[in-house]
Amino acid sequence: MIISKPFTAWDINGNMDKTKLLNKTTRSFLSYAIVILLASAPVFYYISEWLYVYETDEVLIFHKQDFVKNSRSNFSEAELQAWNKYNHNIEIVPDMGIQKDSIVGISIFDSTSQEKEPFRILYAPVTLNGKKYTYIEKSNLVEMEGMVISIALMFLCIIFVLFIGIIYISRASAVKIWKPFYDTLHKIRAFEIDKNREPHFVPTDIAEFDSLNKSIEKLIEKNTSIYQSQREFVENAAHELQTPLTLFQTKVDILAQSEGLSDEATTLIDSLNQDIARMNRLNKNLLLLSKITNDSYLEKARININILLEKNLDFFKEQGASKNLSIELDLQRSMYLTTNTTLAEVLINNLFMNAIRHNLPNGNIYISTDDRQLIFANSGSQSLEHPEKLFNRFSKENPSSQGNGLGLAIIKQIVEINGWDINYLYKHELHYFVISFQ
Amino acid sequence: MKILLIEDEPGIVKSINDYFKSNGVHCENVTTTSDALDRIGIYEYDCILLDLMLPDGDGFDILKELKRLHKTEGVIIISAKETLQTRIEGFQLGADDYLTKPFHLSELLVRMQALIRRKNFQGNNLIVFNEIAVDVMAKTVMVHQNTLDITKKELDLLLYLIGNQNKVLSKSAIAEHLSGDMADMLDNHDFVYAHIKNLKKKLTTAGADDYIKTVYGLGYKWQHG
Repeated sequence: MIISKPFTAWDINGNMDKTKLLNKTTRSFLSYAIVILLASAPVFYYISEWLYVYETDEVLIFHKQDFVKNSRSNFSEAELQAWNKYNHNIEIVPDMGIQKDSIVGISIFDSTSQEKEPFRILYAPVTLNGKKYTYIEKSNLVEMEGMVISIALMFLCIIFVLFIGIIYISRASAVKIWKPFYDTLHKIRAFEIDKNREPHFVPTDIAEFDSLNKSIEKLIEKNTSIYQSQREFVENAAHELQTPLTLFQTKVDILAQSEGLSDEATTLIDSLNQDIARMNRLNKNLLLLSKITNDSYLEKARININILLEKNLDFFKEQGASKNLSIELDLQRSMYLTTNTTLAEVLINNLFMNAIRHNLPNGNIYISTDDRQLIFANSGSQSLEHPEKLFNRFSKENPSSQGNGLGLAIIKQIVEINGWDINYLYKHELHYFVISFQ
Repeated sequence: MKILLIEDEPGIVKSINDYFKSNGVHCENVTTTSDALDRIGIYEYDCILLDLMLPDGDGFDILKELKRLHKTEGVIIISAKETLQTRIEGFQLGADDYLTKPFHLSELLVRMQALIRRKNFQGNNLIVFNEIAVDVMAKTVMVHQNTLDITKKELDLLLYLIGNQNKVLSKSAIAEHLSGDMADMLDNHDFVYAHIKNLKKKLTTAGADDYIKTVYGLGYKWQHG
């Protein structure tokens, strides 16, 4: 069980500290019990003390009555002295002017225990042989202290055992009762709409949780179907665009065959061709992105990244030739990955493409692989202004660039579905893209 | 040369027709699966161009029927669908090539020529254009019986140009053809110029006429005389 903070408070960000529901119910139980205990302990103490004193006083009165009853009223003077001599607690002294029985509580120094002890002392008028005397009897309350403490301790023990029991039982039952809730919570947390798994909740006999589960199931079902149709829409739209694009392309091809085209017209046709190519690329990239999220590339194989890097090297060298780029490979050792071959190729090609497109004339491209990393670095005069937006779809640092702003988004998507990591940094006039395969 | 074009989009049909006609290809068109099945049952074609998405069904049915009838016609699928599964399924059902929409007409034409060449292969596979002879199998080029030292790319370019003779070929079409699967990764077409220049030089120094004409701003054309 997670130990939460002892009390609920607002932190500096205004977020409330969260307490587990289990702890919260137990906590109210506990606070109630502590208040009752604290309040009842002194009351209990005083009541038991009062009871003891009351009982002691009754015993004193009883002793006196017993003294009178057992016809000690005919005590002689000598007997009285002997009585006083051998009775430590009871003394018969000449009349002190006491009219009726009175009991006082007093602390007297006790020679045995070498300290002051609480005593109850009874002063009572008695008549012996027709002469008035005062009967004094004292009773030590010292045992009372010990007794009250033992009782209090016992009481505490019982309360403690009771507490533990209450806490344990309430927790255990709460854990059991809330189990479906935490199960649901756990499953919702693990749920991702772009993955094709809908959570299945464990059936529960608690009406509220059952209704909660059903509501969530309905919500997820609805959202998933909305998401699904949204995703299909992108895919269908991209597919549907291919027919008009084909019409466009073939008609431009026919147009190019026309006799007597002016230089202006041929230049226009060429730029139309480039526009179609760009549209086609955009369309294909959209389709690719939607297919990646659609789990269309699940088949995995063991591939050597270095071979992939070298596979299309000539093509990219040719592409970089117009900028007079030099491409340097530093492949430490064969790096094998288990992943989808098509996507791995798309990843590498897009990295190459990015490094060529955003390079400087006479720039460099450095590609290196080591143990668990693939690094692409290309020349660049300055760091990106918004590196945080780099991997967003359609985000372009340079609006005039040829790219469609999907290349890096595709890279990011491929990296993500493989559970890898990509980082961008700018150092020594180079843009670095570091992919860590963990 | 007679081909069957199974495609329901009239604009595409017209463009293909127009482009192929002057290169000696006769194009018959059907727009539905049932019409296509009727035609292939009766006639023989040099090649069949097949769109997979047809109004009354799946293009794969036509492939199955061709297989059932033991037809030997080469089939090129031209489709907007581009998944590995449809490709594999298409090839397994007997298709010979797969061209994804959109495409350049010049690309479709050379692919068709190559397919027909493969199907009709009888010992030699020689393409002759005046003094130039290309042996497709041996991948050699001869000018006046002298073998040329030519790269793979240049040979590919030469076949593409001759196949599309008298047609204006845009730089992007040439670049895409030469790049093959990597066409989507093209950033610029500047490399086309270098390949054209080298090929031209090799051909003319070997004594061939200069057939490669430059079309200002647009591209090149293989032209006789």
